Amino acid sequence: MNEPLNKASGLTVRGIKKSFGINVVLKGIDLQVPQGSVVALIGGNGAGKSTLVKIIMGIYQADEGEIYMGEKLLKLGKPSASLAEGIYLVPQEPLLFPNMTVLENILMGFNEKEADLKKRLEKHMEGLGFNLNLQRKANTLSIAEQQLVEILRGLMREAKVLILDEPTSALTFSEVQSLFKVVQDLKQKGISMIYITHRLNEVFEIATNVAIMKDGLITLEGPVENFTKEMLIRGLLPDDAEMRDDGSGNYKAIQYEGVEPVLKVRNLCGYGFADISFDLYPGEILGIAGVVGAGRTELISTIFGRDKTLNGTVELDGKDITGYSTKQVLQEGINFVPEDRHYHGLFKIRSISSNTTSALLGSKEIGRIDMNRRRQKEISQKYVDDFRTKIVSLDDLIGSLSGGNQQKVVIARSLSTQPKVVILDEPTRGIDAAARADVYNIIRQLKEAGVAVLMVSSDIEEVVELADRAITVFQGRINGEFQHDEITQDVLTSASFGIKNEKAVEQ
Amino acid sequence: MKNLLKARWMSSLIFLVVLFIITGIVDPSFFKYSSIIGCFNNATMYTLLAIGIAFVIMTGEIDVSIGATLGLTAAMTGLIAQQDGSVVTMIAVCIGVGALVGLVNGLGVALFGVPSLIFTLGTNGIIRGLIFLVSDGRTVENFNGTIGAYGNKVLFAEITLFYTIAIALVAIAHIVLTKTRKGKYFIAVGDNAGGANLVGINVKSTKLLAYVLCGMFAGLGGFVFASKYGQVMTVAGNGYEMTAIAACVLGGISLSGGLGNMIGAAIGAVIMASISRLLVFIGLPPTYDNTITGIMLIVIVVVDALAQRRSIEMSRRKRLLSRTATSATEGGLEA
Amino acid sequence: MKNALKKVFKHWELFLVIFLIVECAVFGIANPKFLRADKLMNSVVNYISVCIISLFVTLVMITGGIDIQAPSIIGLTSIIIGVLWSDAGVNIWVATLCAVIIAALCGLLSGFFIAYCGVQPMVVTLGGSFLYSGLALLVSGMSATPAYQGISGFPNKEGKVYTDFRFLGKGEIFGIPMQIVIYIVLILLCVWILHRTKYGERLYLIGVNQQAAEYSGINTRATIMSTYVLSAVSAALAGILLTANMNSAKYNHGASYTLAIITAVVLGGTLNTGGKGSILGTVLASLIICFLRYGLPICFNVDTQNLDLPVGIILVLVVLGREIAGQGMLSGLFKRRKKKASAA
Repeated sequence: MNEPLNKASGLTVRGIKKSFGINVVLKGIDLQVPQGSVVALIGGNGAGKSTLVKIIMGIYQADEGEIYMGEKLLKLGKPSASLAEGIYLVPQEPLLFPNMTVLENILMGFNEKEADLKKRLEKHMEGLGFNLNLQRKANTLSIAEQQLVEILRGLMREAKVLILDEPTSALTFSEVQSLFKVVQDLKQKGISMIYITHRLNEVFEIATNVAIMKDGLITLEGPVENFTKEMLIRGLLPDDAEMRDDGSGNYKAIQYEGVEPVLKVRNLCGYGFADISFDLYPGEILGIAGVVGAGRTELISTIFGRDKTLNGTVELDGKDITGYSTKQVLQEGINFVPEDRHYHGLFKIRSISSNTTSALLGSKEIGRIDMNRRRQKEISQKYVDDFRTKIVSLDDLIGSLSGGNQQKVVIARSLSTQPKVVILDEPTRGIDAAARADVYNIIRQLKEAGVAVLMVSSDIEEVVELADRAITVFQGRINGEFQHDEITQDVLTSASFGIKNEKAVEQ
Repeated sequence: MKNLLKARWMSSLIFLVVLFIITGIVDPSFFKYSSIIGCFNNATMYTLLAIGIAFVIMTGEIDVSIGATLGLTAAMTGLIAQQDGSVVTMIAVCIGVGALVGLVNGLGVALFGVPSLIFTLGTNGIIRGLIFLVSDGRTVENFNGTIGAYGNKVLFAEITLFYTIAIALVAIAHIVLTKTRKGKYFIAVGDNAGGANLVGINVKSTKLLAYVLCGMFAGLGGFVFASKYGQVMTVAGNGYEMTAIAACVLGGISLSGGLGNMIGAAIGAVIMASISRLLVFIGLPPTYDNTITGIMLIVIVVVDALAQRRSIEMSRRKRLLSRTATSATEGGLEA
Repeated sequence: MKNALKKVFKHWELFLVIFLIVECAVFGIANPKFLRADKLMNSVVNYISVCIISLFVTLVMITGGIDIQAPSIIGLTSIIIGVLWSDAGVNIWVATLCAVIIAALCGLLSGFFIAYCGVQPMVVTLGGSFLYSGLALLVSGMSATPAYQGISGFPNKEGKVYTDFRFLGKGEIFGIPMQIVIYIVLILLCVWILHRTKYGERLYLIGVNQQAAEYSGINTRATIMSTYVLSAVSAALAGILLTANMNSAKYNHGASYTLAIITAVVLGGTLNTGGKGSILGTVLASLIICFLRYGLPICFNVDTQNLDLPVGIILVLVVLGREIAGQGMLSGLFKRRKKKASAA
């Protein structure tokens, strides 16, 4: 299935297998990264891309398989070995030393004289047109700047193979453009790159080769010229892809006449967004699209009482709830599914029932002072049944569930308070296709029950599929509003990137 | 931003100077060379303990067994002194025993992954017990030989030999931490262990080394203790670990690791050692010692924490506000 | 074998129960006198401060905090009672109440700095231990009695029978020392608080993930602060019992208990990072330590002054064993987390 391997140059990966416990993540990966090439590694969540590059970097050890640099078989297994071979990974979340300066961050771990290193660093920065104050502390850097520092670290190590793990996920449009220039430049210099991304356009913009990973295997591989975007999409689709389409055919239009909006947001300003106004009606799914960093998460967290409101009002059922604390907002009837399940959503070493009912601790639903364990179980069991959550026992730790089932529990929590409005932030991030279909069904059921749903999603297809109306946020402000029949991938994407689409706005 | 880091131990120094000045205003007789130098000489033991534990704290761990280690090595010094042993033997034994204790702590924490507070609590109990065993439960006293002469031996300008050595060690430790490649690893590991691993730093061996160094410094402290007091009770060094931790905190070393330097630790040790002396000059009975120390510690860490939180919050807000204020010109990459 | 070991270490309380039984059996065989009920109870009475305070420090540590200031509050309470009663002539019960209120305020102050200013609990309570022990010494200075002597002569009305204030420390109910009765009541209270109430559930949730607790609408700061008040009040109670038992109010009562309390809590299985632990575990660990301190001298001639050694050895062996036996389990958890990180 692979072309004959030419080990003469570049990095070659042969038959890498890796499992975590009973969970097989990589089932035998063959990948070739010729010198001076940019291999775009794409694949769904959980396909094993990050695990693969972490093995190449030596952060994890492979169970089986070999890695060659040119003809040489590498003995990897710890980062220092990979570094010595000229491999450098720019991780998805930058791992800088927050209390150190940019300079200290870049030079950490080098053996040479600082003056020489500095000279080399300046050369690299000049060559790439970077401009960054080296004396700034790392904890004052934006994510983009942190990524820049990581890339410089890689260059300083004279990396022959640079691995970029979703470098653009936190960057703005213009930053992405300058990053691409860097990548082109490095390619010219003969540096090989593995470039992990979710954005197919980027593949055609910078990659020379493309490899699609699915379920721990590379299913498609070849020079980028041999592919079209449609082919990549088809290659990426899960085997049970049809599941995603059910339900979208029998769309039920919403009657807006005579219905009062349940949530009215007027000229809301806060940290990261400004001048936001919209209405949300009962039984409606309002999608909020935009790129990462557009201010969507900041907007909804502020409504949920996690940050200060600077200006404007939020009204729930005619009651002004501007600036309420999270506890009060919850009591008024809004609940929230956070974007980062691990940081903000899960109590990993607590039981499924504890997790389901944690938002009810402020109400009398599960007892006044004493905890009504029986009631707690009843409520949890109800949601487990409703959502088809796969569990063994309600007393099991939630950390033992798969991502999709964890997400169902977090959604169950957000419904447990019987809210009038549910805010979903990236409801299907990091879960598999089957769980995704279940989550979509849950959201549709909510709509039918008359709950208003505010859904932030970077997955544009998701917005297209579910939303009754959609707004797009660009640089902290609303720059487009679309009725159900106007919502297409194209208009949402271009509006998300701030490209004015005359047709869409005028309609 | 380097200034900020500097400012943290500078502010400790300024704090110390202000303490001296206030004392001097209340009682001008304090403004004598000998009284001020006395404050520093007095801090020898705390200085040694503080720089030792600073290595461990910087890597993000803690060691509450150093007081006991000091007691054990002091008792052993005393026993050797009773046998007319040489000073070289004493120092070798102190450093060796300290290193051994550090090795055990380091293995438990770094290799086996036991939370450091718990593990060193346990070794603390064991070492306390060992003190009892080696001294047979009695106070070790009646030293023979020359050790007593070292205790208060003045090297030059009323500065004791021991404090000179302590300061030299502070300087060496400071240079190692800030100038050498491996020295920088201590801070790096405490700052971000995952990031340190990624750039090829061996996190475990760095922590292990920190514990060994910490034990060695505590051992030296034990030698100083024995020669200074000429007798070692079974409870010697009890609670010194808390004083050393407090000295580090006063000197601007963050207990979550990755922040601070040795000069700060040394200044913190002088502050901790001076309070009771200064109180005498101010005219307050020494019973105010702990109260003042406690207030000082709490005020400093609270102000520190609030300032740090404020600066992080401000920069976050500024960053977020700039997103909505400007259009396409934001960000760090310049095309 | 390894699996069996794993199971035992997984159910920590079970392990502690077995340990306790073995301990009693070994001591009982070595010296049958060990098993006399009154002696056993007395061993707990001798260590009652650690037993009581560790119950409430468990609550603190479950939220992810730590409290090393409680021992200094024992002395502070004791000396306040003594000075108010003996030098200011206040009724003994009013004096006791005042001391408890002051202790609660001390806990509130430290708790406030920890919860609302975001200072590390270790640092604040380290400062607190200096501050409150310093205050105790100052209060002691207000008394006509020299500090080292301790104030004595507390109300003890009817000849040989302990009543009034000293009943708390020396009295008996149906042959059970009053201190033990109070300890049992406090155990039940803590079990109820931690395992039966919504407040207890909040403590766990905060310890596991404070951010997620915030998103669940829990006022995490107030809750965290409250645990320090509770542990300070428990230290006050210990101070009262100690004063009543020894008929002496002294500023430095309990000063050496800092590490002993933490030892009892962590040996009881409470995670020092929070989110896991139980009152039963802490009680069992406290009993193990009490019996060890009582049994070793009478059964194996260990010097009573040198009881830190065996306790230290047991703590080290037990945590090492837990870590090694749990390696499979723990690293499994770690790997699962890694997997998720790679899936994200």
